[in-house]
Amino acid sequence: MREAGPRQVPGTAAGQTRHADLEALIGAVARGDQAAFEAVCARAGSAVFGVVRTVVRDPSQVEEVCQEVLLDVWRAASRFEPGKGSAMAWVTTIAHRRAVDRVRSEHRSAERQLRAASHQVAYDEVTETVEARLDRERVRRCLRSLTSLQRESVTLAYYGGYTMREIAALLAVPEGTVKTRMRDGLIRLRDCLGAR
Amino acid sequence: MRRPRPEPHSLVGAYALDAITGADRARFERHLATCQACAGELRGLREATAGLAEAVAASPPAEVIDRTLAASARTRQLPAVDRAPAWRAFLRVHRARARWVPAPKRAWRPAPRRLALGLAVVFLAAAAASGAVALSAEHHLGTARLSDHAIAEVLNAPDAVLLTSRVTAGGTATVVMSRRDRALVFTTAGLPALSAGRYYQLWLMGPAGDRPAGVLPAPDRGMTSLVIATGVTAGDWVGLTVEPAPPARHRTSKPILMLSLAA
Repeated sequence: MREAGPRQVPGTAAGQTRHADLEALIGAVARGDQAAFEAVCARAGSAVFGVVRTVVRDPSQVEEVCQEVLLDVWRAASRFEPGKGSAMAWVTTIAHRRAVDRVRSEHRSAERQLRAASHQVAYDEVTETVEARLDRERVRRCLRSLTSLQRESVTLAYYGGYTMREIAALLAVPEGTVKTRMRDGLIRLRDCLGAR
Repeated sequence: MRRPRPEPHSLVGAYALDAITGADRARFERHLATCQACAGELRGLREATAGLAEAVAASPPAEVIDRTLAASARTRQLPAVDRAPAWRAFLRVHRARARWVPAPKRAWRPAPRRLALGLAVVFLAAAAASGAVALSAEHHLGTARLSDHAIAEVLNAPDAVLLTSRVTAGGTATVVMSRRDRALVFTTAGLPALSAGRYYQLWLMGPAGDRPAGVLPAPDRGMTSLVIATGVTAGDWVGLTVEPAPPARHRTSKPILMLSLAA
């Protein structure tokens, strides 16, 4: 597996300013400002690339999906509503949706079923990869504050691109349990990340 | 014993993680449209998933950014949602094209439609499941990917109906039609690849004669992105032919698809 690449993202101290900047930049992109778009790519490109690379995995597709996501940002910048969440959340939501769509369309068939069948292997592989890449201390610390089932449910879905149903099968627990753990896990993560 | 249908609100975490698909996702989005509390909670959970994204941040290769910037210069942006006049202008453009004003080559495959496909397929699936398509204002993050207002309008029409048919040359065609809008949205899967210089041409055929209704874009992973045809009249059929370039006003070959719109 590849090592995590160099980080462009500055430390959390500058986080608030950086996010406020990103919102203003997306507003400028909505007005067709190419220079602002370049700045958006510089600021959010590494989060986008990171998510896509983690979920899609196939190196031959990662760059293409990453480019699609950034172009979505360019095209849809006018749809970003600052009152409805941060710009980084908006961008990474687009990235994650596109990444899982790609994996699911690629693996919809036999291969995916095979992976689900050999679940222990698949699960170990995912967690190992994720932990190798969790290079942001704060998020790692917050993830550690989750119960193991919450953490597994959240990371298998977000980093592995698995559906709730697949995770229930992988972990051999009822779907309802996974659903609850996902929600509780994200709430805990949100609260932990919010309390800087 | 029948499993009770889950309370939609509790799916908010799974939804934020993109861990529900198809009908479940569509059902949650319908719920989201009417649930202020869910929208508020989702907003918070998305800050948490943004944290997960930043935790794996890695610089993309410079070529990716260079290619993206170059592509953006050629890519039309979406108008803001609330700009109604821009919307109407957009519809007019499509109507004009449906009457066949020969468009320059690059207009055959407008990027917005191609990018709409991912979400549109979800809509088509939802339409097949429920007989209608729900498009709510609330899933703004999803809608950001729905590129084309005119297409969204048809998919979201209260009277939208979904029709599918085999294409004789191979593959399938799917139509979502709205009588109210006198328009339809068309997509295909698994059509045979064509040799260079030939393309698939969509037609409206009926009492008003054969009208060219657009050229299918090149397929992406076997599927063609959505094409909208407007000016549908009573008694029309949708036809598909293979034509040599450049686009002609009159078809030169036998249709490989004839789908009646009389429902």
